[in-house]
Amino acid sequence: PGTPRTPSIPSRSLPARQPANVLEEARTRLHVSSVPESLPCREQEFQDIYSFVESKIMDGTGGCMYVSGVPGTGKTATVHEVMRCLQQAADVDQIPSFSFVEINGMKMTDPHQAYVQILQELTGQKATADHAAALLERRFSNPAPRKETTVLLVDELDLLWTRKQNVMYNLFDWPTRRHARLVVLTIANTMDLPERVMINRVASRLGLTRMSFQPYTFKQLQQIITSRLNKVKAFEEDALQLASRKVAALSGDARRCLDICRRATEICEHSAAALVGMSHVMEALDEMFSSAYVAAIRSASLQEQLFLRAVIAEFRRLGLEEATFQQVLLQHQALCRVEGVQPVGVSEGLAVCQRLGACRLLLLESSRLGLLMRVRLNVSQDDVLYALKAD
Amino acid sequence: MCSERNVCVVVDGVRMTAVLQQPGYDEERLRQAAEQLPSREVQAGMLLSLMGEPDQYSYPSIFIYGHQASGKSYVMQVLLRELELPHAAVSCVECVSAALLFEHVLRSFFGDDAASRLPRSPSLSDFVRVYRQQCSQSPAKQTRYIVMEKAELLRDADANILPAFLRLQELVEDNITVILLSEIVWDKFRPNTGCLEPLLLHFPDYSKGELHQILSRDRHPSYSAELYSSYINILLGVFYSVCRDLRELRHLAALNFSKFCEPLLEGRAKETDTHKLWRNIEPHLKRAMQTVYLREVSSLQWEQMQQMEEKECGALRGLSAHTHIELPYYSKFLLIAAYLASYNPARTDKRFFVKHHGKIRKTNFLKKNEKTSNHLLGPKPFPLDRLLAIFYSVVDSRVAPSASIFSQISSLVTLQLLTKVSHDDQLDAPKYKCSVSMDFICAISRTVNFDIIKYLYDFL
Repeated sequence: PGTPRTPSIPSRSLPARQPANVLEEARTRLHVSSVPESLPCREQEFQDIYSFVESKIMDGTGGCMYVSGVPGTGKTATVHEVMRCLQQAADVDQIPSFSFVEINGMKMTDPHQAYVQILQELTGQKATADHAAALLERRFSNPAPRKETTVLLVDELDLLWTRKQNVMYNLFDWPTRRHARLVVLTIANTMDLPERVMINRVASRLGLTRMSFQPYTFKQLQQIITSRLNKVKAFEEDALQLASRKVAALSGDARRCLDICRRATEICEHSAAALVGMSHVMEALDEMFSSAYVAAIRSASLQEQLFLRAVIAEFRRLGLEEATFQQVLLQHQALCRVEGVQPVGVSEGLAVCQRLGACRLLLLESSRLGLLMRVRLNVSQDDVLYALKAD
Repeated sequence: MCSERNVCVVVDGVRMTAVLQQPGYDEERLRQAAEQLPSREVQAGMLLSLMGEPDQYSYPSIFIYGHQASGKSYVMQVLLRELELPHAAVSCVECVSAALLFEHVLRSFFGDDAASRLPRSPSLSDFVRVYRQQCSQSPAKQTRYIVMEKAELLRDADANILPAFLRLQELVEDNITVILLSEIVWDKFRPNTGCLEPLLLHFPDYSKGELHQILSRDRHPSYSAELYSSYINILLGVFYSVCRDLRELRHLAALNFSKFCEPLLEGRAKETDTHKLWRNIEPHLKRAMQTVYLREVSSLQWEQMQQMEEKECGALRGLSAHTHIELPYYSKFLLIAAYLASYNPARTDKRFFVKHHGKIRKTNFLKKNEKTSNHLLGPKPFPLDRLLAIFYSVVDSRVAPSASIFSQISSLVTLQLLTKVSHDDQLDAPKYKCSVSMDFICAISRTVNFDIIKYLYDFL
């Protein structure tokens, strides 16, 4: 067998279409995957991480850093940006050269796979998890002349948790070795992850170099979008402001904001308007944020709506948030008589109930229990009443 | 009796005209199938019309339910066999794993080599992949049927098996129909995540007339049809109120027929003397209800007993009469102590087992609210200490708490005379329950001259 082929997907027969008008142009620019050259509003964080890693590389020492923040605040993008800048600096010999290894907890089937991937990226060797751990251990603890610094980025750190936490322990222990020259950057969503899940000897090795990414404010979100659009005039000012204010109020997730803007351009295209206006953004926001439960209840059949009313009536009677199917069915049949509908039988009632359960409007036990199956609501009572009253 | 039979015959006449009809199938075969399906014409006709012509697509899944012995699998089997349709008959009891099920289906449709294409522990997607491969090589000319008996066991298989088989037609893109047979209603099958609803088809119970008609079909060749029919009438008159299971009734009919014919053979009666024959057989059948129906005496023994004139039926002791077992002396007392501990409330122990317990007024002792007898509520668990305390007080001699006493307790557990209620690994203060009947314990205490009734709270 010859050298293994580089994995690739078949190439397109036709080249991808270039954006034809302003809206399409805006859409490609707003795509989440097109990371811009510079990250606006994250200059401070960029600077901190850059100086941390740079100082470690210059000194030839090791260290750990923990980066946290809610999803969509640009953690991974910022770290990647830092690494790109450092690589450029190393290319022009401003700093000593280094190797960069990235692993992602979500991409691994098992936490111990981390060793295998690190070893493979460092040396190209393939080994089992145990062997790879031993090899890495040797590599980081033995002195070697002309060893260059390794920067290791661990994304989704919380998924590397094991019961004995030995993967995490090793990752944070290696940088403390005298000859390791290893810089570990870890990224996770929760700020207090080291205190919550790590045992003391792991948390102490992680150290106190922490950084948390705050959610974007609406001004920052607006700035991000404008910088992305880069003078492509596709949005009205008010529309941009509305989108960023709404997102900032809810989560401050930049990705969500970009998605909403992209959806708004699509809606705008369908309505054949030249510029994305407030109404388009409102429609996109409605699509993305409104609850599907209310719509589901509104479009449910008569018997299903009656059943939901019976559930609420039974909850009120019992003063509990749980009832057996038998109790609800009696209420349902009484309601049917009040409404002048033919009362349902047990089988029909069960079918109605289980259909609602399959839509996750109700939480049900196994259908084998029959009449004794307990029924709970998966939505708030107010939502149900609101949805039932509106029609 | 006679009028009832006449009604049956009239109904018979009407039914005989209803022949199964469906275009696309051979007339002769349809007629043959209809002959084999007495009083199931409606259901068979319904099934046939659901199945449609052989090359037409049928509904993806049909769920057939009805009581035991209501002819669900028989009707399916006769239809598929007589019309020579490609089918796989699967019993879900046999298919303990999904792999066996997949293998069986593939083997019956495509032969052995198709089944061998499955990997060692196949998943559902492996099955679908192999099926589609095979199906593209030999596409279905006729609808293929999978008949699954005891389908209620599918609920215990992997969660994706039942929903997948309900829409197998869509998954494998082949003209295939899955037929599920069960005694349980569909409501108890529906998975919580929803599924494609099958068509429901109910097989109602046979009425008395229908049972009569079916049972009369397997008459003895050396006797006339009328005689056998009147015999069945007598049989149903005795057994119909307790048993409507066709299989059981047919078994009983075969078992007792020789007794029914005895007067005829001996020349004591003629075939027309229905009353005489009835007088002869009725007490016999009444006894049979107590013994044969519960399988107390095996069918073979029963037949032997009928051969022997002098021996009276039921004189032989059945299975449940063999309750007496030989136990060591202390084991008997241990069992008695366990019985007392299980059925007496703990607060009465002082009164029963302590010699000088002082004066306890009876009003204190008998609580008014304890009306239900402990024997109705069943045995209560008790700790080991209490068992031993009662044991020492009921045994007259001094017994050392040696290893043999404790090993006797654990062997009583192994013999299922006691039940361990606490965890298996618990060494200190394990709890037990006594699981023997009142009659049994009375017999045991009689052998050791112990009056147990005197010590039972319920019989005070």
